[in-house]
Amino acid sequence: MNGGENLDSIPTDLTFEIFSRLPTKSIGRFRCVSKLWGSMLRCPDFTELFLTRSSARPRLLFAVEGDGECSFYSSPQPHNPYDESSLVVAADFHMKFSKDMWPDFRGFTSGLLNFSSKWKSFWPVHKDSGRVICNPITGQYAILPELIKKCQVIEYSFLGFDPIDNQFKVLLSMDCKINNHILTLGTHEKMRWRNIKYPLAHKPLCKGICINGVLYYLARSFGARSDMIVCFDVRSEKFKFVEYERLCFFQQLINYKGKLCGIKLAHVDDVIKLRLWVLKDEEKQEWLKYVNTFPKNEVLGSCKFSVAGVNARGEIVFLEYKLSKPFYAVYFNPDSNTLQRVEIQGNHEMLEKRNTVYAFVDYVEDLKFNIMKTTYAATSISPLEQKLKRTAALSTNKFDAMCLSDDDDDEFTGVINT
Amino acid sequence: MSSNMIMLKSSDGASFEIEEAAARKSKIIANMIEVECVDEDKAIPLQNVTGNILALVIEYCNKHIVDDDDDVATEEASEEEEEAKKKKVDDWEAEFMNSMSLETMFELLLAANYLNIKSLIDLVCQTIANNIKDKTPEEVRKIFSIENDFTPEEEEEIRKENAWAFG
Repeated sequence: MNGGENLDSIPTDLTFEIFSRLPTKSIGRFRCVSKLWGSMLRCPDFTELFLTRSSARPRLLFAVEGDGECSFYSSPQPHNPYDESSLVVAADFHMKFSKDMWPDFRGFTSGLLNFSSKWKSFWPVHKDSGRVICNPITGQYAILPELIKKCQVIEYSFLGFDPIDNQFKVLLSMDCKINNHILTLGTHEKMRWRNIKYPLAHKPLCKGICINGVLYYLARSFGARSDMIVCFDVRSEKFKFVEYERLCFFQQLINYKGKLCGIKLAHVDDVIKLRLWVLKDEEKQEWLKYVNTFPKNEVLGSCKFSVAGVNARGEIVFLEYKLSKPFYAVYFNPDSNTLQRVEIQGNHEMLEKRNTVYAFVDYVEDLKFNIMKTTYAATSISPLEQKLKRTAALSTNKFDAMCLSDDDDDEFTGVINT
Repeated sequence: MSSNMIMLKSSDGASFEIEEAAARKSKIIANMIEVECVDEDKAIPLQNVTGNILALVIEYCNKHIVDDDDDVATEEASEEEEEAKKKKVDDWEAEFMNSMSLETMFELLLAANYLNIKSLIDLVCQTIANNIKDKTPEEVRKIFSIENDFTPEEEEEIRKENAWAFG
């Protein structure tokens, strides 16, 4: 068959229609077919179409941590929990961070992960070391500029997304300080940490969540000795504080159908108790409370679960926090009060041991990583390899990569070589 | 079912009779019918579609028009029935596309595009994607007779950049 002629005869929009239905890994491989395919599969029209297509099939992303390594996998989320074919799904392996780069997950916003690396040799001074932004599907990641003031202890870093200007920002919260730092990710020539003043000194207590351009996190105020929810508008960079009952003791914040929700999951004897507090009205600080109790049953078994999040259908997703065989995700629909168990299967060494799992719901695969002109891509990354790449970027700019500035001034700057 | 029949004529001169309801799966033909430029005695000439491909298009349209009718008639069908019906269509589509050569698929895709039949475009694109998704770059080059125009250095670089896809 002389197939070459066939493809040439297909208009580009139809070729894109075919390519947009491929898994991400096929796209990556097919970029290596020829120069034409390479440029087609990179062009913005295509990556945008791919994003539209993948938004319709969000996945469950999970990281498995053990023996100093951390691997990323994703699996399909069931289209219909009652469709038998979706009760067993396959986990696809994406990438691995090697020993010593121990990621400490700080947030997950619009397809990108924000984590701090506990990689002491590279950033010896900070308690919370390098800050890394990563697209786990393509393995591309970027290291944010270093803070020059090394004496400061960073308590938390948050990744926020402003959907109006399409911008990511990273907020760094220092230890109980009024003065903190913010950075806008982008392809500007010079990317740098700016100072941002908190109207109220507070100490963050948990990972943040970004909903519709507002970043939320729990914090404790020092003056008032009370707990509160910090609402940070990513676009205007303005803060708002919402009080909540100390008695709630939220374990984490989740996005419940577009509303902020505090959640607490407790295993008491054979019973799992799930409590939700949904912030109905931010202005009036009105909360709706829900309590669900699950007795030991065949769906839940004796597994210990943690909450991975809430999917677009409003189902709360539980995942076992330690890997086991078989490994399950459980979808709880509060409206119909039904539980559905989905087995996740995969052949990978990391999935064989009783490792710790971190999961993220409704993950949309995005091939783009244009938050900065950075491309470090690998299936497995070790600190040494990374260090070499960084040097290469500095000297030859081969990777068109962001690199760290040696500026010795009081500001913190990152330079992108263009 | 009584329905108007219309005639379609392929680029190589073959004539096909098709129910109007089935032909309406094509937005182009539906528009022609709307603006009454279809003469009952005359076949609609489709200059970009050969007879063997048009036969496949008509087979697809005939199958799907029946399903669409069912949808209207049994609006209150239970979820189970809906699912069973969907499965039946899926099975038929899989059978329809099965053993079709890649060359035929491309011709069918072009015909579906020319006639503007969205669901057929989706079906063919998805089938082609499924057929090639597990292939290596070398296999893809062979299938589509594509010349590797990278220098060894360029290829090494691009493979390194996309190393995540080879794991």
